[in-house]
Amino acid sequence: MKKKLLKFPLIFFLSILLVFFYLLMIDRNPSEIPSALLNKNIPKFEAESLFKDKNFISSKEFGNETTLVNFFATWCKPCLDEHVYIKRFSDEKMIKVIGINYKDNPKKAIQWLKKLGNPYSNVALDKNGRIAIDWGVYGVPETFVVNPEGIIKYRHAGPVTKKIYKKINLIIEDNK
Amino acid sequence: MAPTLGYLSLWLSLFFSILQFLISLKNKKLKLINISVHGLLISSLISFFLLMFSYIISDFSILNVFQNSHTTKPLIYKIAGVWGNHEGSMLLWILVLTIFNYFIFKLHNEKNSIFILKALETQALITMGFILFTIFTSNPFERIFPPQENGLGFNPILQDPALAIHPPLLYVGYVGFSAAFSIGIATLTSNEKVPWYNYMKPFVVTAWTFLTIGIALGAVWAYYELGWGGWWFWDPVENASFMPWLLGTALLHSLIVVEKKQSLQTWVLLLSILTFLLSVVGTFLVRSGILTSVHTFALDPSRGMYILAFTFLLATYSLILFGTKSKKYFNNNYFAFFSREGSILINNILIVVVCSTVFLGTIYPLLVETFTSNKISVGEPYYNSTAVLIMIPAILIMGVGPILSWNREEKSKTLKKIFPSVLLTSVMTLLAFSIYQTYSLVGVIGIILSFWIISNNLVLLLKKKAGHSGGMILAHLGIGLLILGITGSSVWQEEKIIRMAINSETKIKEYNIIFKEISEIKGPNYIALRGNFLVYDDSKNIVTKLKPENRFYPVKNNFTTEASIHTNLFRDLYIVLGEGNFKDGWVVKIYYNPLVVWIWIGALVIFLGGIVSTAKNLKKLKSSQ
Repeated sequence: MKKKLLKFPLIFFLSILLVFFYLLMIDRNPSEIPSALLNKNIPKFEAESLFKDKNFISSKEFGNETTLVNFFATWCKPCLDEHVYIKRFSDEKMIKVIGINYKDNPKKAIQWLKKLGNPYSNVALDKNGRIAIDWGVYGVPETFVVNPEGIIKYRHAGPVTKKIYKKINLIIEDNK
Repeated sequence: MAPTLGYLSLWLSLFFSILQFLISLKNKKLKLINISVHGLLISSLISFFLLMFSYIISDFSILNVFQNSHTTKPLIYKIAGVWGNHEGSMLLWILVLTIFNYFIFKLHNEKNSIFILKALETQALITMGFILFTIFTSNPFERIFPPQENGLGFNPILQDPALAIHPPLLYVGYVGFSAAFSIGIATLTSNEKVPWYNYMKPFVVTAWTFLTIGIALGAVWAYYELGWGGWWFWDPVENASFMPWLLGTALLHSLIVVEKKQSLQTWVLLLSILTFLLSVVGTFLVRSGILTSVHTFALDPSRGMYILAFTFLLATYSLILFGTKSKKYFNNNYFAFFSREGSILINNILIVVVCSTVFLGTIYPLLVETFTSNKISVGEPYYNSTAVLIMIPAILIMGVGPILSWNREEKSKTLKKIFPSVLLTSVMTLLAFSIYQTYSLVGVIGIILSFWIISNNLVLLLKKKAGHSGGMILAHLGIGLLILGITGSSVWQEEKIIRMAINSETKIKEYNIIFKEISEIKGPNYIALRGNFLVYDDSKNIVTKLKPENRFYPVKNNFTTEASIHTNLFRDLYIVLGEGNFKDGWVVKIYYNPLVVWIWIGALVIFLGGIVSTAKNLKKLKSSQ
């Protein structure tokens, strides 16, 4: 009886380590929070557009094709890092990308896009962060994949990296 | 030059740790052991201080310095920057390992030779593992070409004096338990009859003492820097330090029983192994990125895999040894439930239960994610209704334990013994509540527990009965004060979040707070908005001026809040300045936190008690040799 008990710590500890091992092996992002909006319709909103001649009305922007929604700001360093991938979506993959400029200075945003290139078909100004709240965004950058029916299929919190870029492409393929 | 030398020196420490491992394995050539122990200590000192030097002179040809420092950073934070990041902190970890290695070696004499060499062998193995990890996955001396003009800067939220010394103290704690682990393994593997517990105890007391103050400083930092009004958030990383602390507490107390009665030896050996293993698992949880928490290190999956493999090795080795060799330490000295050792044993069990509860809460989200596809998080309500509840009987017993005699206590005598402290507790509690007249069940329980511990130890202090160590009384008094602070600040905290315009006024408890002005100021590496708040009491006398800041660090493009706090022995007034503008006013968070200062005083008293006790144990060990 006692002898068996002495082996218990070993068995217990090793099974915990096994769980850790499994979690390291699978492809997962611990900071990823499943969005409550997943597989639901996008929240509707209207806003000023960054581009003077346009207004931003969400019902006119979505539908017909798969669209990416990218929350960004010029003051956010990771947004700068991911910009190259956002551009690749629009330039190489010909995917419609909508930008939402979060709590930012529009003049700076225009300069920023002039300097780095503009991947966005339209940019909504989210001056007070209301749009971000509706979308459940908790920090920039965040990127959503919206299918042609206007339903959110994927959400990524944090910058788009090479790995995420590939993943989003796969999700877009699945939803075409 | 410095980075090359530092890197070389790191390889040199690897060499010495391998040498020490191989030689102590064969149990001979004391001269070579001497060389390797000293060589290991000196080479790791050199690499550590060379990295520090590179930080001080802002050598931006080193990737690590480039990523974590900046020329405008104040000197103290340049130095603290060395361990404010993953790679540098591993270097500190190695340094502390080799210092403890040195102290184990210092205990060597003819009589205990084989035993100490066994301990040095395990210690060398652990050190080797951490050096290999650092060299291959986290090299702090990695270069960048071309060298950069200036660094990326240091996360401003880490620029805080409490946080600057928090990691070194914490590491002395974690790593100190490695010495207990090595001595435990040596006890299991060597067949010599040595009083191994006398060797283990000073290390455990030291580790426990430093872990305590390290955790406390982490809480101080969270309280002053995060601006959330609290000091403990049951964050996975906080738990990762709390769990070894709990097991360390159990280990410390059961070691006393082994010392006095020779019983519980198997149990103590198991605790010595588990305490260090939990420290390593904690390191894994923090550095692998498997969990998210407020403590983020730069993440790299290969690191997680390495530490996991290393933990696996240590766990399998030590726990198989325990499973096969610990039988000989079993004895059947059953002892009375109603005695000092009985109270220690019961508390040991309760502490282990608390530790398991915290462990379960910490890894439960991972288990759920493994076996289902759901994500959940476990927060404060879980811990409050489980771990905190189990601690109540433990604290009750803790008060009375030291009063009981060893072996067997006569029940009638006990009543007589505890009468003064029961009386004192009742008087203090009644007095406190007649003054404050605020009641809540949790609050009453907390206050009674606190006064119970305090009065029991005051009685012990007054009696000065032989056999009670001053360190123990101090540490226990500290726990009593700590409970007082924890109860006060968590039960009677008041919070007010409002938007305030300039010259507007608000009231919290008996204080009137006027928002006088807001001004822009310039710090060494930040600019800030500083609010000026005047605080008046009931009779319109000014109490204090509070000046919370909203800082902006241009280098990192980062905002931080600096809470402004007025402390006295009864309460903290805590103001945080939020967002806002002149037109609509500013969001202001005001907290009234009763008794917080007693948490810090309590932790300090515990620390002092630990130091007294460490000194005493070292002296005892020296005289026994």
